[in-house]
Amino acid sequence: MTKLEVYDPAMCCSTGVCGPEVDPALVTFAADLKWVAEQGVTVQRYNLGTEPQAFAANPAVVKEMEAGMDRLPVLAKDGHIVSTGVYLSREQLAAKLGLAATGKARPGGSCCSPKSGCC
Amino acid sequence: MDQTRTLFFTGKGGVGKTSLSCATGLALAEAGKRVLIVSTDPASNLDEVLGIRLTSTPTPIPEAQGLSALNIDPEAAAREYKERMVGPYRGILPPAAIASMEEQFSGACTVEIAAFDQFAKLLGDPAATGDFDHVIFDTAPTGHTLRLLTLPSAWGEFIASSTGGASCLGPLAGLEKQKVLYAATVARLSDPAATTLILVSRPERSALREAERTRGELAELGISNLHLALNGIFTAAAPGDAVADAMTERGRDALANMPAGLAELPRTETPLLPGGTVGLESLRAMGGAGTPPPPPPEVGTDLSLPGGLGRLVNEMAEAGHGVIMTMGKGGVGKTSVAAAIAIALARGGHRVTLSTTDPAAHVREAVLVEVPGLTVTRIDPEREVALYRDEVLAKTVHSLDDAGRAMLEEDLRSPCTEEIAVFRAFARTVDDGKDHFVVVDTAPTGHTILLLDAAEAYHREVLRTQADLPDYVRSLLPRLRDPAFTRTLIVTLAEATPVHEAERLQEDLARAGIRSFAWVINQSLLASGSRDPLLVRRGSQEAPFIRRIMVDLATRTALIPWQLEPPTVNSDAPKMLTRSL
Repeated sequence: MTKLEVYDPAMCCSTGVCGPEVDPALVTFAADLKWVAEQGVTVQRYNLGTEPQAFAANPAVVKEMEAGMDRLPVLAKDGHIVSTGVYLSREQLAAKLGLAATGKARPGGSCCSPKSGCC
Repeated sequence: MDQTRTLFFTGKGGVGKTSLSCATGLALAEAGKRVLIVSTDPASNLDEVLGIRLTSTPTPIPEAQGLSALNIDPEAAAREYKERMVGPYRGILPPAAIASMEEQFSGACTVEIAAFDQFAKLLGDPAATGDFDHVIFDTAPTGHTLRLLTLPSAWGEFIASSTGGASCLGPLAGLEKQKVLYAATVARLSDPAATTLILVSRPERSALREAERTRGELAELGISNLHLALNGIFTAAAPGDAVADAMTERGRDALANMPAGLAELPRTETPLLPGGTVGLESLRAMGGAGTPPPPPPEVGTDLSLPGGLGRLVNEMAEAGHGVIMTMGKGGVGKTSVAAAIAIALARGGHRVTLSTTDPAAHVREAVLVEVPGLTVTRIDPEREVALYRDEVLAKTVHSLDDAGRAMLEEDLRSPCTEEIAVFRAFARTVDDGKDHFVVVDTAPTGHTILLLDAAEAYHREVLRTQADLPDYVRSLLPRLRDPAFTRTLIVTLAEATPVHEAERLQEDLARAGIRSFAWVINQSLLASGSRDPLLVRRGSQEAPFIRRIMVDLATRTALIPWQLEPPTVNSDAPKMLTRSL
């Protein structure tokens, strides 16, 4: 079975309410992960602030952080890093994981939607 | 009063929680009970009050049969907790990762949770307090902490699940094994047969408002065994002393207008005491037993007092524009000081916006408008929080399940959220500081600034978008750190707890790269000119604190005498500027 691991930056709240604006991208990403899990993928998410052991146990992730903290979040599929520094959209997650992207699509206009070209 | 086994004293800094805890404990011990006093106040002077060196295990008080005490510093506990979480990863994770972890454990929430952890250990472990009939705490967990701990989702899957994590519970995640203990602690707090919560307040309007707010929160949580302790009731020795008369009248007025919810509570009143509450004799007097100890010898002050606010205003006026923030814990008079500065600047021919959260400010706006060049904008914290909450919930309502939504809603009731929401409102006016003066009576803490900073970096670097980031935030942080643009004044009283709290604010700001411009010592009895014997003695106790501020803490210091009129935006402002000694 496929396994997806997400290494988040230290966030005091993953909802983003502690920041200047609530972050819809984070909320959407959480929903997308839930969808991924429903497709049969095992999803593990680690927050640097509360679960540093998961980071320390993964030399590849430590190496990314040494290159710069902006490499977080790191996404790893079955132990191999598939993306750094960005929260993938549902379509991108589906592509990386070899899933058929169905269900509720991400609303357009996001910087990370495939056609924006920023990712 | 028939006392429950556990008593918690709660109230804002400087109202006398530690003194009252000790006086109550001593009275119970002298009635033949075995009593343990637990201080978790980081500014605790319990050692001094009881005349013995305390540790984190119960120490018997030699002069008081049956009385023991212990001292817990929740900040030290929070530091230990942080080190326990972060320490093992030093040298393993990159320094930048360690730094970002550490900031997560540097907020007020971590201290709160660490303090609760200590309460829970003492309450939940029968062996810890089994030798005592009563356990008295000089601090109580806040409504926010209690609510978080009672959320089933706080302990359930939400934390561990893929969507997990929440502001104040982030630090808690490592404590999951304490779940049963915490649940028992929360249950015991709301059991009226086991626990009494004593709301401590000074006879002042703002302090009573704060106590009422706490009462409402606790009542909502089903904690109904509440008691009101009014500390520092003052009556002038003889009529004719203007300061003493005004203080007597102000106290009476505050009590006459006490919020109804508080007025209904069983109540204890303690007079303002001349010599502080150091020593068992003073505590007996405070508890209403025995005669007050003889007054301490009058301390002559060789201290040369700092000047008034006028000098500071002149220095700040030279810039011609910029942001001035007054900062301090509740009850020290931030709004009065901000208003005094705003009026002085306006009278000096400058254009000034005064931005205030004082709920009573609107009453006086009409008068203030008459000062040419001065505009007053009022920010209603409740309204700002409600707006923010609605905005957040609207954005997330479709993507969270019930447990997740409950957690988010509690996140939105945290003190951090209120600070963020209010600051968002203020930040809109900070931009105006480019071409005139903006005086703000609430400043963000260093922790909030660091969080905003992290959020900004996060948006910039991780999301590679600035779409969601309001412009004011982008330009705000560099401006707050620019000493030529923003001047932060730390307002305090010349008393132990307020000075300690102000010191912590200053350290917190320093962590965020902000240096305070000056300290303002407000409501000084020493400089008030009162001849009332009690007030003279109280005033003489200010001297060491004033000296400490001038020598150790501040680059500039201003002193404002206790004002005859109640501290209103309008009336005392001009008088605060000048001071005759």
